Amino acid sequence: MTAGVVGARPRHVPQTELRSGVGYWVASLASMMRFDYGRVRQWVPMMIVIQTLMGAGMALLYGFFYPHITAIRALYITTGAPTLALVPVGFVMLPGTVAEQKLEGTFDYIWSLPSPRSAQAASTFTLFTLFALPGSVFALLVAAWRYDVHLALSPLLVPAVLLCALMAITVGYGMALAIPNPMVTNVVTNALMFVVLLFSPIVYPASQLPAWLATVHYFLPFYNMAVVIRAGLTSGLVAHVAISFVVLAAWTAAGAAATAWVVGHRR
Amino acid sequence: MVEASAATLVPHGTVERGARHWWHDYTVMVLWHLASLRMWLVTLTVVQLLAGVGFVLGISLFFAHIPTTAALFVSTGVPVVNLLTVGMILGPQLVADQRSNGSYEYLRSMPVSRSVAAAAWYTVCLIGGVPAMVVALGVAQLRYDLPLHVSPMIVPAVLLTSFAGTMLGYALGHAIGSPMATRMITQLLVFVVFGFAPVLYPLSQMPRWLGAVNWWLPFRQMAVVTRAALTPGGHAAVMSAYVVLGAWAIVCAALAGRALGRRP
Repeated sequence: MTAGVVGARPRHVPQTELRSGVGYWVASLASMMRFDYGRVRQWVPMMIVIQTLMGAGMALLYGFFYPHITAIRALYITTGAPTLALVPVGFVMLPGTVAEQKLEGTFDYIWSLPSPRSAQAASTFTLFTLFALPGSVFALLVAAWRYDVHLALSPLLVPAVLLCALMAITVGYGMALAIPNPMVTNVVTNALMFVVLLFSPIVYPASQLPAWLATVHYFLPFYNMAVVIRAGLTSGLVAHVAISFVVLAAWTAAGAAATAWVVGHRR
Repeated sequence: MVEASAATLVPHGTVERGARHWWHDYTVMVLWHLASLRMWLVTLTVVQLLAGVGFVLGISLFFAHIPTTAALFVSTGVPVVNLLTVGMILGPQLVADQRSNGSYEYLRSMPVSRSVAAAAWYTVCLIGGVPAMVVALGVAQLRYDLPLHVSPMIVPAVLLTSFAGTMLGYALGHAIGSPMATRMITQLLVFVVFGFAPVLYPLSQMPRWLGAVNWWLPFRQMAVVTRAALTPGGHAAVMSAYVVLGAWAIVCAALAGRALGRRP
């Protein structure tokens, strides 16, 4: 805005005015990431520890339930461990963080900041995806050491893990935003964990499920997460990997759409 | 307290002692808990039923064909989990919530003795645990056709398991000041009970050293006494299990009593 006619509107541009443009969006993303990182920095080590304990602990624990751990069982448990470590970050910790932010008012504060809300959401997605990675690597290492499994790593692992982490976080965030009551979010996440730990073919083959439950899991994200990660760690154990990638991408899109729908409504 | 006035004036909120008063206070406190926690108890019962039945049914998915031993161990371990959920896991979390929102001091100001408060809470924990346990066992019997044989020893086994768990939770909830620490510890306990104690699977399937550590902990012994009362045949280690469990119950009750402090 340039100096115009004397006596016209004041030249002062309010700080809270929403600006736009690609450059502004990128700058907002960078500052939101610094802001978010600064807020959660002290919790990052604990998050990684919890996640490692969860993934590695579950991998050890599943082994106790079997009288004999055959080679194929050991392979399934080991390659399921990274998936088990990724699920809680997206489906439990992130919704929990959002619920807490809603209760203490931080959530409204962040929405009041003069940065595009899409940049705010993108910052959360990026940071949590990065946080989710070390824990799942540790979980895999512990499980591989415990069961003495030899893995065949393929380059497919990188997109598989990144997509799984992004999917879990996008869906978890969309869910936390779309459900207004934090108590309900809490119940839903706990129920989800129960389903994931007991009734999802992550550490055992889908063929052990009743047919109807297996069909349900083809459309849910958990089984497909296990498939793509297992495909990156083994050769010849899983088939139809492309379909699983598509299902995961669809869930990511759905999570992003839910997020966009909620943040697009200015209260 | 001034001696002269003690005979005539009983200050409001002083505990009256004696068996008759104890029984009266006890019934009032049980009713008070049931009324104030009615929503919580309904939700709890549903969650307990789903978790118990879910575990009994879900374990068969881990195997292509589930061996009878595995089904038997899970089905006779789930009652322990059901009994512990209220007293040891949700109880301390409830106390932590009460500390956070301030109702804790109010509850402590009630004119009842420590033993009444503990006994009333123990009763509520039994009410919250036993129905789910019965349903889970029934479902297990239907699903797996197990060789279950319920002996009268189930009564002391259930009472002592629930008592030891409730007292452990009571000690945790009242002795630990920070609600955050209480939540962390109880969540850790869930993990230990479900996975790292031989409750839902045989002792032989865990590393020997971990089994030895578990001998000193209450959870393995809870599973031993409960399983002995639900399955036929002689059980060698039952007596020692009752002794260890009893010791835990007494120590935890003493700790909880110390933390609560004597009510004037």
